[in-house]
This record gives sequence, C-alpha cells and structure tokens, in this order.
Amino acid sequence: MARFKYIFSLILTLISFCSFGQVATDSSLYAPAKVKEPLVFKGVKLGVNVGRFSDYLFKPERFSYEGSVDFNLSHKFFGVIEAGYSEIALEEENYNYNSEGYFYKVGMDYNMLKKHPTDYLGMGFRLGRADFSHSANNVLIDDQHWNAETLTIDSKSYNTYWLEVSFGIKGELLKNVYFGWSALVRISVAGRKDGQFQAIDIPGFGKGENNINLGANYYIYYQIPFNRK
Amino acid sequence: MAIWSCTDDHCNADTESLLDATLTVTDETLNDINFVENLSIYSPEWSDSIYYSESGDDNVLGFVLSPFSDTTEIVFTSKDAPLNDTLFVYYQRDYTFFSQECGFVPNFEIDTIFHSYNYIDSVEIINKEISVDKNGKIQIYF
Repeated sequence: MARFKYIFSLILTLISFCSFGQVATDSSLYAPAKVKEPLVFKGVKLGVNVGRFSDYLFKPERFSYEGSVDFNLSHKFFGVIEAGYSEIALEEENYNYNSEGYFYKVGMDYNMLKKHPTDYLGMGFRLGRADFSHSANNVLIDDQHWNAETLTIDSKSYNTYWLEVSFGIKGELLKNVYFGWSALVRISVAGRKDGQFQAIDIPGFGKGENNINLGANYYIYYQIPFNRK
Repeated sequence: MAIWSCTDDHCNADTESLLDATLTVTDETLNDINFVENLSIYSPEWSDSIYYSESGDDNVLGFVLSPFSDTTEIVFTSKDAPLNDTLFVYYQRDYTFFSQECGFVPNFEIDTIFHSYNYIDSVEIINKEISVDKNGKIQIYF
C-alpha cells in the first residue's frame, strides 16, 4: 500500500511540474520577441551635386561636377558611391596655378527616420580618393637681395585619401525626385602633402593646406521607379 | 552703419625663409677689431650687403639662400679685417603654396657647406631645414 502511495505522489509531482511548465510558456503573458528582418534592396537613387554649379558665380577659376549613386537597403542603410571631376585655373599676379583630376568616394549612410523612412535624416561616412595633377608657372619669387625671377614648377600627379563624415537630410519633394543637403567634415588620411609643392585645391577634398576641411553638399536625386508601390 | 570686410591682393605676411648664422669669435685679434660688429655679408649676385650693425643681433645674422639655384655663395667681410671669407652652401629646394596673395615660398634643405679658412675655423650645421615657419641654423667659429 505504501508503494502505491509513493507512485501516486510521484505522478502528482510530475503533473504539477508539467502544469507549471505550461503556465511559464504561456505566450499571452509576454511580449513577442522582435524578429530581425533581413536588409532588403529597395531601390537606387541617382544624384547630382548642384552646389558645385555655384562655382560659376563664386569661384570662376574652378570648374567641377559631382554625381552619386545610392543603394537603398530597407530604407535604413544606403550604400553610396560618389565621383566627380575638378579643374582649377588660377591666374594671380605672382603665379599661375593649374590642377585637374578626379575623385571617388565610397561609403554608407544611416537613416535615423522611422516614421517616414522613404525620406532621410542621418549620418554617413565615406572614404575618398583623389587622382590629380597640378603645376604652376610664372611663379614670382621676390626677395630684397636676390633679383626677382619667375620659375615654372613642373606638372606632377599624385593621390590623396581622406575620411568624410556627413550629417544631412533628403526629402521627396516631387514624385521620385529628392532634394538633399548635408554638412561634411573631411579629414586627411594620406597623400595631402606633395614632395615638390603643395596643392592649392585637392579635387573632392578642398584646400590642400588644411588637414581638416568643412563643406556642404546640395544634391538633387532621382529615384529610379523600381520596386516602388 | 555699414560693415564690410576688405582684403587687398597684396602679400602682407613675412614670407622669408631665413638661414641664421651664429657667429662665435675666439680669436682675440678679431675681437680687438670688433670683427662681428663691423661684419657685413654679400653674395656676388647681390647689388647690396647685409650689415650686422643693422640686421644682426646677439651674434646672429640671417640671410636668404638663392631660391633660383642649388648653391649660394656668401662673402663675409669686416671693416678692419684685411681678408674675406667665403661660404658655399649646397642645398635642395622646393616650393610651398603659402597663400593666394603671397603665392609660393621656397623651402631649403642644406646638404653641405664649404668655406675658406682665412678667419673661419669651422662651420657646423645645427638645423638644415629652412622654411617660412622655421629658420635654418648654422654656427660659424672664427
């Protein structure tokens, strides 16, 4: 009889454990776990930096253009490729300076907007590289003892690398057309100094004499109407 | 009230890349004739001289190397000294863009210096790099 008592007690214990387990896993008492959605390709935007057109008014010695392609991943991350060309012909009393070259930037933007995810407010970073050549002529070195003479500094090609951090906005003001603005900080990484003479302006980076350059971009983008509802 | 800023297009900055020569005289006969106080230097390519009494101080006299050649010849002469000494400075040079108004300025890196031995015992290169930001420095022992 005592044996049956023990078996009955054991069965009751097991049943109570099972019941406890059922209560503990009752999903109605807990918030559902968030499912991390994989990044989904949402589209491509093509952009033109219209800010560079202001050079015609404010920096007539410079001619430059810049464009971009960005790849939208779930409206949250944007892979960005930017490229452009810059040419400077500076004629001063004591020197003439010419430079021309291309620049390329690769990086990522992070969208902090959650309510209107097709627009953009966020931060980005880029790695930039410029390939360019520059030269100077009619360089007048004037000294009170040495007779003033002009000299020519031969053309030289070289590369510069920099990191760029941006904070900006983009909004869809017309169907598939976005306007955007961003503030930039460019930090020189390598190649800014030339062994022969320093560049006045490095395409895409800005003033060659500075380690850090500040700037702004004004872009118009066209969203390729792909995968859009 | 109108507020505006204006800049002239002239270079107002000091853009000289100077080589400072510190003059140490241990020869008593030179001290007797105030060798340093009466010292002047010139290059055969100059039309003028630099006088210690006008431009020198604390036994230091600065001058600019030729921006157009890799060698500069400088003659040291003192009023009551019958002989002169000549310094030949050999160097490399490049140019830095200084500013839009001032344009380019030369930088020098001294390779070696040769000199005559009339009064100069030896020359020591203390700082061989010369730029607008930092003067070069040599020590001349008489």
